[in-house]
Amino acid sequence: MGAEEQNIKEFKLKPMKCELNFLSKSDGSAILSQGETVALASVNGPLDVKMQSQSIEKSTLEVLFCSKGGKPSVGDRYKENIIRQTCETAILSSLYPRTAITITIQELEDYGGFLSCCLNTACLALVNSGVAMRHVFAAVSCALDDRGNILLEPTQQQLETARATMNFVFDSRQKSLVTSFTEGAFSEDTYKEALARCRSASDLVFSFYRDIVTKYSKVIG
Amino acid sequence: MKVEVDDVVLPGDFSEEIDTAGEKGKVILGPGLRKEIDKVYITKAGVLRKRAPNTFWVDSYQKRYVPSRGENVIGFVVQKSGDIFRVDVGSSCPATLSYLSFENATKKNRPEVQVGDVLYAKMLVASKDMEPEIVCVDSHGKKGRLGVLNEGFVFKCSLNLVRKILNPSCPLLESIKNEWPFELAAGMNGRIWIKANTMRETIAVGNAILASEYLSDDEIKNMCTNIASILAGHVS
Amino acid sequence: MAEIYKLIHPLKYFNDYISRNIRPDGRKFTEQRNIKLNVNSLKTADASAVVKCGNTTIVCGIKLELATPKAEEPNQGFLVTNVELPALCSSKYKPGPPSDHAQVTNCLVSDIIVNSKSVDLKDLCIVPDKLAWVLYCDMVCLDNDGSLVDACIIALMASLKTLSLPSVTYDCETEEITVDENNKTPLKVHGMPVATSFAVYKALESDMLLMDPSTYEEDMCGGIGANFVVCCNNGLLCGTQKFGGSNPSTECQEEALKMAKHRVKLVEQVIEKCIKNNEIAMSR
Repeated sequence: MGAEEQNIKEFKLKPMKCELNFLSKSDGSAILSQGETVALASVNGPLDVKMQSQSIEKSTLEVLFCSKGGKPSVGDRYKENIIRQTCETAILSSLYPRTAITITIQELEDYGGFLSCCLNTACLALVNSGVAMRHVFAAVSCALDDRGNILLEPTQQQLETARATMNFVFDSRQKSLVTSFTEGAFSEDTYKEALARCRSASDLVFSFYRDIVTKYSKVIG
Repeated sequence: MKVEVDDVVLPGDFSEEIDTAGEKGKVILGPGLRKEIDKVYITKAGVLRKRAPNTFWVDSYQKRYVPSRGENVIGFVVQKSGDIFRVDVGSSCPATLSYLSFENATKKNRPEVQVGDVLYAKMLVASKDMEPEIVCVDSHGKKGRLGVLNEGFVFKCSLNLVRKILNPSCPLLESIKNEWPFELAAGMNGRIWIKANTMRETIAVGNAILASEYLSDDEIKNMCTNIASILAGHVS
Repeated sequence: MAEIYKLIHPLKYFNDYISRNIRPDGRKFTEQRNIKLNVNSLKTADASAVVKCGNTTIVCGIKLELATPKAEEPNQGFLVTNVELPALCSSKYKPGPPSDHAQVTNCLVSDIIVNSKSVDLKDLCIVPDKLAWVLYCDMVCLDNDGSLVDACIIALMASLKTLSLPSVTYDCETEEITVDENNKTPLKVHGMPVATSFAVYKALESDMLLMDPSTYEEDMCGGIGANFVVCCNNGLLCGTQKFGGSNPSTECQEEALKMAKHRVKLVEQVIEKCIKNNEIAMSR
């Protein structure tokens, strides 16, 4: 327990590892592991699009989520919706009218905090693809254990016993809240505290993004 | 986050240097920068660059081509319809090419272009709201180096690699052109056409280009001499 | 004239209203639309409710069925929600399989019900591992004019509150089931989750919160599904959802939480009054 309590104080997140350009054929791709949770995302676009889903003033964003089992479910639609709405705010879609940008996300390993891992992977893949973006975004998850403590980036064990889980996505400009989704019941004060903690923890994700970009930007120039 | 020139930047960052330069005079914003109301924001991840006096851009990684005016591109003819050819240049929709935009082309004297041909052309119209249009002549009606590319070999690469090998300071082409003769056309859309005397030499050029993507200048020079010695060893 | 202006300058038209502190339909920013509720409207369903929040109309019907519980949770029944957005409710939807939006709304509604723990699934179990109730809660939208989740939750909660389960006897040896329709016990509903949607409008200076937005307002504030939905239950939050759209500031969020809490009382009153009126009418 000692280590966990330290985690809370030091805003430590699970160790993140990432490889950009993981797939050779897509326009942008990223594989990201946060602890044991792993997701793979690929971005294609701007591409040609069918007349019916074409928008004359902005590009259409399509998100496809593939779970490990491979069978589509209502839950997948929900995840796709979260990812799409979040990415839509980040992409400068008005620069690519009458086109489509597709994001495909493949679940590889889910050991807790999977959806926030997906969101971060999607962001890295977008960064890699060179699509113009308003800002980058970072997703942080936290859980409320039965004693009322807030745990950042809970493990699967912690999630099973948690009273509530909360997920927040912040933008990189003002760190304002882009997306939030929660499970379970909690008080208003807990919500505010969790929000504040995740907000400060999002700095770590952003600096991780910067490190990743630093690594490969030295050689491309 | 606030950044300086030559820093690694992420979308959403801003640089005060650009803003203050903008107050004093005109500033030229290149790719990866965008003005929003009163501030300039970065839209692509990469490295912020500046060329005196006041041109700014972001060196970023990209594979998908987004047309931009005046760039030379390599395209494949995919359709012939009436007065125009449709050419795939790798952008979201195919570019159009009028049969009159070839050297000495008239209504009577049509250029000989077939579906499947590879073209080296210049981007004439590139707007986000319109179909891109390419031409195979310059403003004097001369074809220069543009036109159909016969024979040879085309391969794809990232847009950065094309920019890198075309950069005058890059030693790659300088080194290999002394080793054996070949022709090369680099399209800014991430396609490179090469033609050498033998298949082996063609592949050697292609591999040298692809391998140089993540190498420094010195490493490139080393690699070129290596390839040349291997090639020479087998040929002789 | 105003109609043409709205077509030519949709953003400016909307902004002109907002900058004068009023919404295009004449409401104040924090004003909700009138709620009209009627329970037990469908005679074929075991419990039902029709709710109108402004123009948004939702019909909810609950059908009871018996089933064997899942092997993993032998002492729990089932509560299955389904939100339908037929082509009739808005020109945005096409006939055919459920649209993405319908699936997402359904997810939100069922999450809120599960998270609020307002129905204990153990209450639905009759004989562990053998027999349990299944509550099929179907919500059909007749007219979609924004704030769908709010209306769905009101309709669903009102129906659940009026639902009573017939007593069932199960003979373990013969596996015979007898349902006594005359002897009904009301379903225990713990708490009363109330969802409140806010559209976040990013004005130049500050963010604006529009309570209970209409479809038009949703469109102007980040499109379908970009609402900030706050759900309160017994003073606790049981879900805050926000997917993309404009970003509310911290002050805005606090204000939203406050307003959502305030609205809970109002909605509770509406539902309770409606159920009471219905009971009086039934007893006559």
